[in-house]
Amino acid sequence: MATCPDGHESTATDFCDICGMRIEGAASNAAASAPAAPAHPGQAAAAASGPARETCPNCGVERTGQFCERCGLDFSSGTVPPSGPPVATSLSPDQAAEEPQSSSAASGPSWSAIATADRDYFDQVVANGGPDAATIEFPDYCPERRFRLSGPQMRIGRRSASRGIEPEIDLTGPPADTGVSHLHAVLTAEPDGTWALVDPGSANGTQLNGADIAAGVKVPLHDGDRISLGGWTVLTIHAS
Amino acid sequence: MSEQDFTVAVFQNEYLPEGGQDVNAIVTVTSPDSGMTAGPGSADAAEVIIVDCSGSMGTPRAKIAQARAATAAAIDVIRDGVAFAVIAGTHVAVGAYPHGGTLVAASPQTRDEAKRAVAGLQPGGGTAIGQWLAMARELFLRSPAAIRHAILLTDGKDEHETPADLTAEIAACEGLFSCDCRGVGTDWVVSELRRVSTGLLGTVDIVPDPAGLTADFGAMMEKAMGKQVADVRLRVWTPQQATLKFVKQVAPAVDDLTARRTQTGPQAGDYPTGAWGAAESRDYHICVRVPAVGVGQEMLAARVSLVVGDMIAGQGLIRAIWTDDEGLSTRINSEVAHYTGQAELAQAIQDGLEARKRGDEDTATSKLGRAVALAQESGNEGTAKLLAKVVDVVDAATGTVRLKKSVDDADEMALDTRSTVTVRTKK
Repeated sequence: MATCPDGHESTATDFCDICGMRIEGAASNAAASAPAAPAHPGQAAAAASGPARETCPNCGVERTGQFCERCGLDFSSGTVPPSGPPVATSLSPDQAAEEPQSSSAASGPSWSAIATADRDYFDQVVANGGPDAATIEFPDYCPERRFRLSGPQMRIGRRSASRGIEPEIDLTGPPADTGVSHLHAVLTAEPDGTWALVDPGSANGTQLNGADIAAGVKVPLHDGDRISLGGWTVLTIHAS
Repeated sequence: MSEQDFTVAVFQNEYLPEGGQDVNAIVTVTSPDSGMTAGPGSADAAEVIIVDCSGSMGTPRAKIAQARAATAAAIDVIRDGVAFAVIAGTHVAVGAYPHGGTLVAASPQTRDEAKRAVAGLQPGGGTAIGQWLAMARELFLRSPAAIRHAILLTDGKDEHETPADLTAEIAACEGLFSCDCRGVGTDWVVSELRRVSTGLLGTVDIVPDPAGLTADFGAMMEKAMGKQVADVRLRVWTPQQATLKFVKQVAPAVDDLTARRTQTGPQAGDYPTGAWGAAESRDYHICVRVPAVGVGQEMLAARVSLVVGDMIAGQGLIRAIWTDDEGLSTRINSEVAHYTGQAELAQAIQDGLEARKRGDEDTATSKLGRAVALAQESGNEGTAKLLAKVVDVVDAATGTVRLKKSVDDADEMALDTRSTVTVRTKK
């Protein structure tokens, strides 16, 4: 019988019978088959570090370095960091290095956009019977794609080798939303660290939170805003 | 792992972005080469051949003659000891051989008797496919055989019972035996036979010319005789609060199993896969929605097991790892993308033909055009050839097509029945 990080009793010793979380100390197939840069080097190292194991006195998670991966406890001093969320998210070295290059002020929020296939929006497009409505199909499967907003602008569209368009927010797919123009819309970084949306005149238009936006007019964006475009694509803006 | 185990290979991109929930994987299952779990002897198999003897089988006269010859060829392939019977189907079902409403063990003598009985089959009467299946079901119920298989041949529409009758009978037969269906000529209805073949985990195909029946029946029976293990189930465990969005067989043909789930535990369910031959390989596309956890954490999204009887005979893991590296999470696994395309191809063909029948030419042109592009992109040459008999292809890459003015019924039905046949990726 093993115990998973969330405290469930599990007969299986690799992943928890209840919640599926990897049980600490179980040999990770991920470490063996993962690409050169593992997403969580700490855990991979722990799996290889042999029998000497130490657990965090605060939350019980296995020690993988100077700081607890779960609660951030400093093993050398025995203290938990006073501020921030109780469960700290570990940043990869890559990500930490990227942060200062972000266009937003170092202290400002970090912005991102998550692209998903949205059934409600698709149904609405079909109901309105746009010119291509009959030819667009809602995809069976669509991975969520996350884009971190950086630089002076982020173009939204589909890659076109013939027209030399390589949008930063590339929605080429598969699955392809053929209602998205090659250059459909642009997100621009504003001097105050926020972002704005412009539709330069796409074939099928762009909606912000369900309302059409005028072509060529810059619209400020906020956390949680939903940009709908093409046949079923919705980009959700996150500022955190 | 023993030599008798199925091998299970999982192809997926396990990396999800922060907050990501959908995990897709292609699971390739391959049965052992030989010596499968107590390899069933001949006595463990039962076979029923159902031959349409309705009045239309007499026009042209060659049709009933070819059906008799094909049935005889299939009988020749039945191994000694296998319990078998031949049913003559009209608006009722009649035991053509043996007469007593039972199965008999195959031997040189019983095979000869059966062939003589089949040679005397005469056309006359209507078509009630549900009645034929009901008789096959009665026969199989009296047999202790583990591997039970039927071949059903028809040339016409199921018109002497209601669609509900057929649906109810298919449901009664599910899990009891598998059934491969063949339609001869062009007066039968693809959707009817497809309901039988998908419900009973078999194949459906068109034999446009009765002359082709003999070879087809022989091959089908060879394949049935090669089945070594019956009633194999795919068991899928998922974590608490996860939703299994779909389970589809995607190779050798698309077959959505999602609705066929039998709950086997609080977090697990079984999907039927029927009987397997030696070294047979099939692919499944599984999509699970899991609750998102923190970046850097790893979760088991599904544990996929092959279950034979009460034994677990092979297992694969579908995993999820949350990462903030977009280079990892935006990668699309080539197997998943390929089979997503193949499933879309099958759907586009069926939708396109449906629209064409309704007279909605715009939708038919766009759907079949999309199908042409998908077939070309994925290298599905078999389907591309069948499509080219129904549409004139202007540009395959972009899916620009024109509907042909006149299409041979047999070509249209061949495209419809074979629309679900997929090709594999070059691994």
